[in-house]
Amino acid sequence: MALDPAVRSAFEQVLEPRDVISDPVGCRAYECDGLTGYRVTPELVLLPRDAAQVAAAVAVCAEHRVPFVARGAGTGLSGGALPVAEGVVISLARLKRVLEVDPVNRRAVVEPGVTNLEITAAASPHGLYYAPDPSSQQVCTIGGNVAENSGGAHCLKYGFTTNHVYSAEVVLPDGSVVTLGTDTGEQAGPDLRGVFLGSEGTLGITTKITVKLLRTPETVRTLLADFPSVRAAGDVVSDIVSAGIVPAAVEMMDTLAIEAAEEAVHAGYTVGVPAALVVELDGPVEECDSQFEQVKAICEKHGCTRLHIAGSPEERAAIWRGRKAAFAAVGRISPDYFVQDGVVPRTRLAEVLDRIAELGRDAGIRVANVFHAGDGNLHPLVLYSAALGETERAEKLSGEIAELCVEFGGSLSGEHGIGTDKACSMPKMFTEDDLAVMQRVRDAFDGHNICNPGKVLPTPRLCGERPGKYEPHPLEESGVIERL
Amino acid sequence: MSELASSPDSAVSTPTKMRPGDLDELRAAILDTSGPVGISGAGTAADWAGPLGAVETVLDTTALTGVITHNPGDMTVSVRAGTPLRALVEELSSHGQHVSLDAARIADGATVGGLLATGDAGPSALVYGTLRDLVIGTTLVLADGTIAHNGGHVIKNVAGFDLAKLMHGSYGTLAVVAEVVLRLHPVPKATATLALDCPLDEAPDHAARVLGGPFEPVALEWVDGTLLVRIEGTEAALDARAARVAEALDTDERHFRRTGSDDGAARQGWGAHDAAVRGAPGSAVLRIGALPSRLPALIGSLPGVTAVTAGLGTGVATVSLDPAGVAEAHALVHAAGGTSVVRSRPAGSDVPAWGPPPSAVAVLRSVKNVFDPQGRFGPGRFDPWM
Repeated sequence: MALDPAVRSAFEQVLEPRDVISDPVGCRAYECDGLTGYRVTPELVLLPRDAAQVAAAVAVCAEHRVPFVARGAGTGLSGGALPVAEGVVISLARLKRVLEVDPVNRRAVVEPGVTNLEITAAASPHGLYYAPDPSSQQVCTIGGNVAENSGGAHCLKYGFTTNHVYSAEVVLPDGSVVTLGTDTGEQAGPDLRGVFLGSEGTLGITTKITVKLLRTPETVRTLLADFPSVRAAGDVVSDIVSAGIVPAAVEMMDTLAIEAAEEAVHAGYTVGVPAALVVELDGPVEECDSQFEQVKAICEKHGCTRLHIAGSPEERAAIWRGRKAAFAAVGRISPDYFVQDGVVPRTRLAEVLDRIAELGRDAGIRVANVFHAGDGNLHPLVLYSAALGETERAEKLSGEIAELCVEFGGSLSGEHGIGTDKACSMPKMFTEDDLAVMQRVRDAFDGHNICNPGKVLPTPRLCGERPGKYEPHPLEESGVIERL
Repeated sequence: MSELASSPDSAVSTPTKMRPGDLDELRAAILDTSGPVGISGAGTAADWAGPLGAVETVLDTTALTGVITHNPGDMTVSVRAGTPLRALVEELSSHGQHVSLDAARIADGATVGGLLATGDAGPSALVYGTLRDLVIGTTLVLADGTIAHNGGHVIKNVAGFDLAKLMHGSYGTLAVVAEVVLRLHPVPKATATLALDCPLDEAPDHAARVLGGPFEPVALEWVDGTLLVRIEGTEAALDARAARVAEALDTDERHFRRTGSDDGAARQGWGAHDAAVRGAPGSAVLRIGALPSRLPALIGSLPGVTAVTAGLGTGVATVSLDPAGVAEAHALVHAAGGTSVVRSRPAGSDVPAWGPPPSAVAVLRSVKNVFDPQGRFGPGRFDPWM
């Protein structure tokens, strides 16, 4: 069913007509985000040029009950920006100004389409930076980071997006504009900013964000260490934590991930070792140096087979290049892959990795592991070949891994979000009542269910009667919904 | 459950006090009653925000105590909300871990749930944030008896809406917080406080030198004439950094009081902060948040101020002032783009708890309406907003 022409003309009155895209080819460019397996072509794509136009566009949506999906750079990995059929996509790509950098109060005011790294670029002349650093930071936008409560390698010490946003100007689903949060940690009443952050675009669209900036650390020390087993590397992480050290980052890669990364970027990792750890400390020079000695000693105690200390910023960059390339690099050892994002208590890492390996063996599918070991956030890469017909098996395995994390007392997602991808797994983690209360919050913001509907919370339409979605749904089989 | 019947000679309107001992009893207490309910913990902040209106029932959470699970290796703990934070911290200390919150009233026995509901925090919010940044999960009981969990036992978790945040600063108006999961931090091996005597209008320059340097202070507070800077670290490295901070402060040597963690003078400095937070006798106590650069002048403009502690990095201050000046103070804070709430008032005085409402007040009302449509919990706390 096509959108009422009156609605389209209403959008054309509040935006410039050329900023309302309706031709199917143009709209198809917005059919998916970073989770490319899910595709829906929207009826219209709106390209507002400022916050007032965003509010006006949302007001039209509210008046005509048209569902809308906000979109930043489209790098999300959970289908959070998947369009809704018969709905519109509101792109924030043109709201990309850094409005203010305030070095005295150590904060910046930015529009949602500014990329994560652009904030740091704007702040760095003042010796400041924006701490959360998702791997996609060169391209992902702060608006998307707010929606997803994005993390990154350094969130073990510095926290997530939610810990670094003072306030957000938000267009609510009824088109009204409010500010959530304040200039400080003091809020007048319940922390609405906190519930908005990470709500995956279901409670409104942010049009202006005030973020906290931190002083660039005086010293950074980074090491890369090889271990004879994943368990030994895991023990190192535990010992570091028990010593009262809070590293800036602790990342682990297994054999397959190392192999892929080395093949892609030649960062100096040792091919063939069972596990490699990247440990980074930062802070005042005295603290950093004294704790770094402790970390080295802990690595040696657990049978580290090679200890490489970055001796220059270039060497440090190389270590990180290997780590950050791991995702894309698995493309070199496998034609297709799914990435999962479950979290387990850090102390159960070794156990969970054994189980993942077992599940992989049973399914006849390889799994590479590269993850944030400090906070237990796994990123198993499920390697498969669509051409060889392995998709369904791989997808099943991928879902099993996410749910395994919940069984181990963890979470379905550490940073990628629930989106479309894991909505149907939510009942594994939460009771019906838990989810119903989340729905109440959604109702409080969006009484007409037009703001990114179908995401985060499971719906019978997508998930069927029972939880667990990795069976083709009848609607899918009949072509009503599409999932590749 | 112990039901503490009101004494026979008390007024008819005295509410019935219920003191549930576990989650089921808590739920039953809510379902067995129908009228308005006040939620109370240790009572250390009973008169903060708007005065509690007429209630039929007071739900006392102080029997909901104890650690449910502590995972030392994961640095998380789940605890029943009526547990005094002080007791929890004592219990965790043998593992070298603590909850990085230094609100003054923790020493008075404030409960975890009460600290969350009042959004309380201390000077170390500069680095560790407020309790909203440390809570990773909650179990709530709603006014209709629904039990809802959110978050979990892992620090990194984006599954589902972060309802725990809504409890922060809700003053018992949305739900009863029954259980809380907290992330923990290592207890610092060593701490030092540097103290510099200076007037408030000079303090921002000193603060800027410390904040602009690589020193990572965990607290930076001006307390009635003294700037306090606290740093944390390892035994081996702390002294060198303290010396550098002293150098950065770069004023006359005689003004410094360099103190170690166990030194009486350091405790005295932070003791003055705690006293300022509790407020001067006979005054109203106002909690203020404003852009750090605006805070000193704002405080200077408030009428009848008798005590001040001001976080020059956080922008959060607690001031004591003449109750007659509270309404004007709210207006001044609002005009400076800040927020303010009354934390305590002299008995019998009628001061407005809140200033002008925030732009999102309609959302607050809407959230209240979906959580507690009959308006049972905490009547009066947000008068006149909702």
